[in-house]
Amino acid sequence: MRDSERAISIKGLTKYYGKLQALDNISLDIKRGDFFGFLGPNGAGKTTTINVLTGLSNFQKGEVKVFGYDTTREYTRTRRLIGLCAQEFNFDPFLTIHQLLAYQAGYFGIPPREAAQRSDELLERFQLIEKRNVKHRALSGGMKKRLLMCRALIHDPEILILDEPTAGCDLELKFLIWDYLAQLNKEGKTIFLTTHYMEEAEKLCKTIGIINHGRIVRIGDRQTLLKDKSLEAVFMEVTGLE
Amino acid sequence: MITNPIGVLALSKREIVRFLSVASQTVFPPLMASLLFMYIFGVAIGSRIDFSATGLSYLGFIVPGLMTMHLISSAYENTTSSLFIARWHNHIQEVLLSPLSYFEMVLGLLAGGVARGVIVCLGVYGVSWLFTALPVQHPFLLLFFIVTISVIFSCAGMMGALWAEDFNMLSVWSIYVIVPLVLMGGVFHPMTMLPEAVRHISRFNPMHYLVNGMRYSVTGVSDSPLLVCALISLALALGTFFATVYMFRVGYKLRT
Repeated sequence: MRDSERAISIKGLTKYYGKLQALDNISLDIKRGDFFGFLGPNGAGKTTTINVLTGLSNFQKGEVKVFGYDTTREYTRTRRLIGLCAQEFNFDPFLTIHQLLAYQAGYFGIPPREAAQRSDELLERFQLIEKRNVKHRALSGGMKKRLLMCRALIHDPEILILDEPTAGCDLELKFLIWDYLAQLNKEGKTIFLTTHYMEEAEKLCKTIGIINHGRIVRIGDRQTLLKDKSLEAVFMEVTGLE
Repeated sequence: MITNPIGVLALSKREIVRFLSVASQTVFPPLMASLLFMYIFGVAIGSRIDFSATGLSYLGFIVPGLMTMHLISSAYENTTSSLFIARWHNHIQEVLLSPLSYFEMVLGLLAGGVARGVIVCLGVYGVSWLFTALPVQHPFLLLFFIVTISVIFSCAGMMGALWAEDFNMLSVWSIYVIVPLVLMGGVFHPMTMLPEAVRHISRFNPMHYLVNGMRYSVTGVSDSPLLVCALISLALALGTFFATVYMFRVGYKLRT
């Protein structure tokens, strides 16, 4: 596979928090346009992997590339290619939703007029347009989830990384997010999704990886991986959970 | 070195709008405090002090000192609170995930501190005209000192905000280091008024040179050679700026 065809390429990634080894020599290739599901028990290393990919965590060993660009040496390029929808609602409490998105677009080099337009388009798409002039504290949990998605997409990234995007969502919102992710993937975006919901991974993902104790214990395309078993059964088998 | 000018401008705008939107807490209090200092120390007490040896009135002597003191505290407080709150709420990730280089991130965050410092400093100078006419003797030098001093303390504020783990730690540097050094640096007194031993110690206080650089720019009078003041100010500005960029580069308390 050519470098430009590899949306994400991780080789021999090792990460410690003090003496605790969070990632143990993991390697992973995700091709352009893939919908990759990253599963694992709590504390297995999913969020750490995401943090390394996005530059929020340092690492001790290995190589991480995004479309052939090194995330450490060429971070200004790789960060332009990635949109992160994090788990926590980490918004500036002093800004309105529209300001928040407009500033975020600005950091990505998008001029103010275009930023305002993109912000309104996304707010419209995620049914938040009526809330554009309120602060995030006035939003419900589901609305905040959607705002996280808007923020991740404001610069139209090639790769969308989502850390448990539907955790705590009601069914309606879950289906809205699923539909939207499937549509984005159809449009050519590479999606990297972590989730605890097997149904979500089975429904959406083309490729699935399972991580346990900082090691990738199973990876492959969905059909090959599942064959005659459910994802839950495979997950239980490789993680040793009952 | 700036490859993302729109990004730097966006971050700068955010930082400037942030403090301007709460001007009653960020801009006006130092102006009010200066007004009181000038009236009490400069007019009420200062008119009874024989200060003729310096070639200035006591009020004329303390105005540049007050400008420096509030320039320092405003620049420091702005970046400290902004960056620490961003870390506290973790919305610093918005900046860290962006394609701004570490140099550009520091530049953008710096803009708020420098803008607030400059506005407050010029505001204090403006307030002084209520009591005395004090034309600036060397405007370009004044600009140089205002910019370098605001850079020094905006960067010091960022370093403080990165170092601090909680709100108590946030004020430690300001209360126990910066404010005493500034006050001892000659805001209200010339070196000649100090006992011999203290005068020697004061020579090692960098604030002394910053205060005197500002005083020379405004009044043409200084306790120390201008070149030394300018070099110290420039060296500290460059040193603190690149130290802050380095802290961002290694991700000191920013990356896990």
